[in-house]
Amino acid sequence: MELQKFQYDNKTVKMFAYATILWGLVGMLVGLIVAIQLYLPAANLSLPYTTFGRLRPLHTNAVIFAFVGNGIFMGVYYSLQRLLKARMFSDLLSKIHFWGWQLIIVLAAATLIMGKTTGKEYAELEWPIDILITLVWVVFGWNMFGTIIRRRERHLYVAIWFYIATFVTVAMLHIVNSIEIPVSFWKSYSVYAGVQDALVQWWYGHNAVAFFLTTPYLGLMYYFLPKIAQRPVYSYRLSIVHFWALIFLYIWAGPHHLLYTAVPDWAQSLGVVFSVMLIAPSWGGMINGLLTLRGAWDRVRDDVGLKFLVVAVTAYGMATFEGPMLSLKSVSAIAHYTDWIVAHVHVGALGWNGFMTFGILYWLIPRLFQTKLYSQKLANMHFWIGTLGIVLYAVPMYWAGFMQSSMWKDFTPEGQLKWQFLDTVTKMIPFYIARSIGGALFLTGAILMTYNLIKTIKVGTFLEIEEDEAPALTSNYQSHSKEHWHRWIERKPIQLMIVSLVVVAIGGLIEFLPVFLIKSNIPTISSVKPYTPLELQGRDIYIREGCYTCHSQMIRPFRSETARYGEYSKAGEFVYDHPFQWGSKRTGPDLARIGGKYPDSWHYNHMIEPSSMAPGSIMPSYPWLLEDQLDANSTMSKIKAMIRLGVPYPAGYENIAIQDMEKQAKQITANLKKDGIETLPDREIVALIGYLQRMGTDIKVKASK
Amino acid sequence: MTNFNKIKYLAVTLLIPAVGFCQDEAVKETTSYFTNVLFLTLVGLIIVLAIVIVAFSGVFKNIADSDYLQNKFNSKKDDSNNSSIKNIVSLVLLFSSVSMMAQDAVLAKVIDDGRIGGIDQFTFYFLLFLVFVELFVLGLMFYQFNFLVKTHLTIVKAGKPIKVESKILKSLTDVVPIEEEESILLDHDYDGIKELDNNLPPWWKYGFYLTIVTGVIYLLHFHVFKTGDLQGKEYDNAIAQAKIEVDEFMKTSANNVDENTVKVLTEASDITAGKDLFIANCVACHGKGGEGTVGPNLTDEYWIHGGSIQDLFKTLKYGWVEKGMKSWKDDLSPIQMAQVSSYIRTLKGTNPPNPKAPQGDLYSEAGVAPLNDSTIIKNDSLNINIKADSVNVGKK
Repeated sequence: MELQKFQYDNKTVKMFAYATILWGLVGMLVGLIVAIQLYLPAANLSLPYTTFGRLRPLHTNAVIFAFVGNGIFMGVYYSLQRLLKARMFSDLLSKIHFWGWQLIIVLAAATLIMGKTTGKEYAELEWPIDILITLVWVVFGWNMFGTIIRRRERHLYVAIWFYIATFVTVAMLHIVNSIEIPVSFWKSYSVYAGVQDALVQWWYGHNAVAFFLTTPYLGLMYYFLPKIAQRPVYSYRLSIVHFWALIFLYIWAGPHHLLYTAVPDWAQSLGVVFSVMLIAPSWGGMINGLLTLRGAWDRVRDDVGLKFLVVAVTAYGMATFEGPMLSLKSVSAIAHYTDWIVAHVHVGALGWNGFMTFGILYWLIPRLFQTKLYSQKLANMHFWIGTLGIVLYAVPMYWAGFMQSSMWKDFTPEGQLKWQFLDTVTKMIPFYIARSIGGALFLTGAILMTYNLIKTIKVGTFLEIEEDEAPALTSNYQSHSKEHWHRWIERKPIQLMIVSLVVVAIGGLIEFLPVFLIKSNIPTISSVKPYTPLELQGRDIYIREGCYTCHSQMIRPFRSETARYGEYSKAGEFVYDHPFQWGSKRTGPDLARIGGKYPDSWHYNHMIEPSSMAPGSIMPSYPWLLEDQLDANSTMSKIKAMIRLGVPYPAGYENIAIQDMEKQAKQITANLKKDGIETLPDREIVALIGYLQRMGTDIKVKASK
Repeated sequence: MTNFNKIKYLAVTLLIPAVGFCQDEAVKETTSYFTNVLFLTLVGLIIVLAIVIVAFSGVFKNIADSDYLQNKFNSKKDDSNNSSIKNIVSLVLLFSSVSMMAQDAVLAKVIDDGRIGGIDQFTFYFLLFLVFVELFVLGLMFYQFNFLVKTHLTIVKAGKPIKVESKILKSLTDVVPIEEEESILLDHDYDGIKELDNNLPPWWKYGFYLTIVTGVIYLLHFHVFKTGDLQGKEYDNAIAQAKIEVDEFMKTSANNVDENTVKVLTEASDITAGKDLFIANCVACHGKGGEGTVGPNLTDEYWIHGGSIQDLFKTLKYGWVEKGMKSWKDDLSPIQMAQVSSYIRTLKGTNPPNPKAPQGDLYSEAGVAPLNDSTIIKNDSLNINIKADSVNVGKK
């Protein structure tokens, strides 16, 4: 058979590698800053742009979509070409993909610190960026499938199954979760509200972990681990079973983020059981990785890249065992809203994604530059510092989370809560300090790596033209009769994509449809009314400032929560919440029923200097809310958008909304005046107070009647 | 017997009596430890660590052929080994120092009546001890693991592998040995990556089936046969149970005061306790000296909701939520509310700086000076009239 010569595109791989390193450093640095802000609120420099509520989404978006995202593309562009014996389909598409993705990252960073956010965790970016992401993602898929079609390898290797599943599922998740109605160029409302929004959002959020942080990285593991270790993959059949089981089961597990909330019981139970069933498919990947190293453990000693991979796979195993445990309702009751979850996430992020990326970089960069790694010693140092960083990060956070949760639940024998919320916050500070040291170590390791790689790059020469040859595929392929049945679909990329899509679509459909179609899942509460225009504006300020990053709005049905916050939250209370703001972390107390708990003047003073009203508080000050004028002109379009979403304002209300808004603002300023506070009714603080005082009061009114 | 197995048996023998002991201990206690979060978590942690130890020992027995071990006894530790020991020791030390710190923090704050987080000290320390033993065993295993990797090269040079088969392990992993792996090497070749055709590890496969069965049982239990309590019912049960426990406790407690039976406390210790509580909870809204900031002035003679000890107690207990005074009954015990109320009454006429203007109605104690007032005020008819008025004002 005639061999065809072709060249691999190493340039795009190199660019993605550089981007991975750069954004990794940025993302980790921002993470360190927010970690420090938790015990040193002044580290926000008193600027709106650098407060915790805005930087935290920047941190999560940067490490997930910029660091890991570029890491995925780096690994995919390198391995895909070699696994298919073909150059990437189109250099132009590669270029558009690379620069498009970097543009998205820059836009994301700029808009997030400006407070342009949808308020949906890990999907904070506003609608124009959402569209851009969709387009660039399609370019990526087009380029990938183009390459697959032109391949010179008959069968698709397991890594590519994971890439394909990643492509279709992320596309589905992103599009479904991002459906929103634009109000202006940088403002939109989610079409979903309350319980429905929560389900969609955590279906997305959970599967962003699954299909952005896990499946593509499993694909990378399946390429780089056997490649570096020079060992055959342990079990082909295990690959098949765990691949299909993993993508099918993962999708269902989203509601485990919503245990003991107002989400219907049956949906919560599905979240629990599918999470438990996920242990084995997740561990299938770990086993196949670790057992591939049988007989190659000596190489683990010599190859620093492999060392990183081993810890990465182990961390993956730990995190994917802990995840299902956390999904048990009794464990979730303790761990949810605490730093335990933060620890869990970081074992995955730092261990699995971080170390996997580092391991690949240490192997790949010398290869691309035809030289040896500048310093093995530095790389080993990175390994130890990084490992130490993970331990120092995770251990204090586990302690902190468990301790805080126990304190929240403590009652005296007389039946009183033993601790004020604030008591439990001040106890966290030593742990926050220890955590930031762990994070700083991890970042130091990454800086060492950067230095090491730059030195390596300087010494080497870039392998611009890497040639390879392979025979072209013939159209008449005769499958041999004894082959595994799965070989068929490995020859059919389109079928593989379609079957994957079907498999991942099932779980979501079964969980969503009843919640959207059957009314009894969200019992109506007649006293729950739409927000007034002022409250709506206040709510948008709440979203803009990222309050949800520290405050939940969901009182769970526990004695310790109803004693502290009031009656537990009901599904019907959130029907006008586009988007929902239940949050996932209680660095500060729950706010679901903050309305009416304190006077207006308390909130006013609290926003100027939280510790004046709550001594020891670690909440930052928001002085600009007192100065900045509310954008009253947006009221009309916001009410219009809400009406389009089905919120029952009277017909034509958008035209008189401003008058209502001014009236309510004047009442609040009058209230403030009674306590000696002079402010203008058109300031943002007034709208925010309006919203805070409304929260959770709808069913209180009903209770007193 | 290999070192790994020794460790494994050691860990298991250590654990079995421990778990049994915990259960005994739990049964003896009047309030069950099975509802204690700290207890359950510690036991859970112990079990999880035990599983990790067993799994880990299995895995690396598997990956490390027993020939390494044979050699281990003969080989000397070289310098590089020592450095790896140092690495691990420092890691373990660091681990434990962090935990110690965390532990101190927990102890400092959670100790109460000789109990820690609701568990008696002995049990707590015992459980903690077990956790540390397990962490230690894990540390040891890490060391072994590292050692294996380090010594592999010398062993490969030194001699032939000697196989020690374990039937149980074989039946759990169903792995084809490395020497025979040619027989299951598939003809796949992707950029030099080949694939073996090992069977699914039986422990993994049956574990998977087990989780599926568990899932089905879970759904049947809660949603088909409805034999399990869902969260609404769980909540009602918890509240009912708490009420029984609190009522039981209050029967025998000196704490049993309410707005009808509360008296002014004059003991210095009560006033000091009240002052401490006031500083911790009230100064944010009422000012350091009770001069009033967001909330009203507590030092003048004007009261919005009445100034008698009963009025104050009631205000604390139920709050005036629509005016911004929260209910404190879930935060402060009855006796604590009486202490705070009593302390507030000592503030009258103290004239702190920056007083807030008077609010509410003039309230007088019918000629009885507050500081001398050790009698029960509810006998004072004048006071009751005024109180009734101010309550009305408060309501509408």
